[in-house]
Amino acid sequence: MLLDLTDLSSEPLQAQIVRQIRAHILAGNLGAGADLPSIRKMASDQRISVITVQRAYESLEREGLIHSRRGKGFFVSEFTRDRRRDLAAEKLRESVQPVIREALAEGLDKEAIQAVIGTILREV
Amino acid sequence: MEKALQCRSLTKQFRDFTLGPLDLDLEPGTVLGLVGPNGAGKTTFLQCLVGLLRADAGETRILGRPNDPNRPDWKLDIGYVGDLQVFWERWTAARNLEFVAQFYPGWSQERAAELAGRLRLPLEKRAKDLSTGNRVKLSLVMALARSPRLLLLDEPTSGMDPVVRAELLEVLFETLETGDRAILYATHILSEISRLADDLAFLDEGRLRLRARKEDLLERWRRITFRHGDGEVRLPSVVSHRREGMDHQVVSSDADSTRRQLRELGAENIRETNMGIEEIAIQILKGGENA
Repeated sequence: MLLDLTDLSSEPLQAQIVRQIRAHILAGNLGAGADLPSIRKMASDQRISVITVQRAYESLEREGLIHSRRGKGFFVSEFTRDRRRDLAAEKLRESVQPVIREALAEGLDKEAIQAVIGTILREV
Repeated sequence: MEKALQCRSLTKQFRDFTLGPLDLDLEPGTVLGLVGPNGAGKTTFLQCLVGLLRADAGETRILGRPNDPNRPDWKLDIGYVGDLQVFWERWTAARNLEFVAQFYPGWSQERAAELAGRLRLPLEKRAKDLSTGNRVKLSLVMALARSPRLLLLDEPTSGMDPVVRAELLEVLFETLETGDRAILYATHILSEISRLADDLAFLDEGRLRLRARKEDLLERWRRITFRHGDGEVRLPSVVSHRREGMDHQVVSSDADSTRRQLRELGAENIRETNMGIEEIAIQILKGGENA
């Protein structure tokens, strides 16, 4: 699996791994049952510490995106289309929330923010 | 599984410097970055571990065995690279390697040749003609070619150019793939080890300031800004505090508890940003008592 990890971001490496694997799974690049590289393999491939990968996998496991089978490693979990939509919506909420908070702090009101979002949706 | 390293109340006293008492454990499969400024005692500590210096007190077990100088079989499973290298100075690097090979059952000549190539060690040169960097490379090849279960590295990249330094880190990552090998990597430059290390230990003036999982540090430490009007704000986990009028900026070693306290105080506009491991290390070594 190709991940794009950088030390130049304020996002910790562990969070970068979680976000990128989650994106692979939600986009369907990694289907249900697909196996993830072992923790040691991933650590060695990405040149990061074993514990960093372990924590990232645990976090994805808590989200229900992957599961582990004893002695066999980690696999992408199966989930319904609804669940996939919920996860994608949750991810969107997480990334948009701080931006909206900031806009409110900078003096935009809710109508103005909705207008901007509306414009973006028409443009994409 | 037995610990790769277990050290209890290790103490070494000099006229003007005391190391310890130090307690430190290292699990197999784990990389520990031992970080501290020059003169913190890193080299003394490692030399005590491998028996180059005799500790005044304390107990050290390496891979389950006491590091007894009279029964040196525990040395077969460790690799040590420090600034004190003993070579046969009139022999070539290659002959030095051949000679050492016979003492180690786990030695692989193939591995030695491969490592020498990757680290660009001039094998045909006599040891006495090798530069500082090349002498370190020779001892690295000696340490790694025997596939040790515990690697003790003391500033192993000193005198090396960036390409070789990167190659060494590659080699260390590969070493870890097998799963049960442990590395203790001492350096005053955290960035060398910041991706490789699972755990970090901070040594300063002979004492261990803190030992923690790197990921835990990254999770707990935050820079937090908030607005708060009235009077003094006392926050237990805060190691540095700047204030301009109602605006505060603090560094917290325990973001959860600081966040809770700020909410109780009624602080407004609480915002958090992540901190890099280097910034965190500097705060710890500056001696934030709360760290």
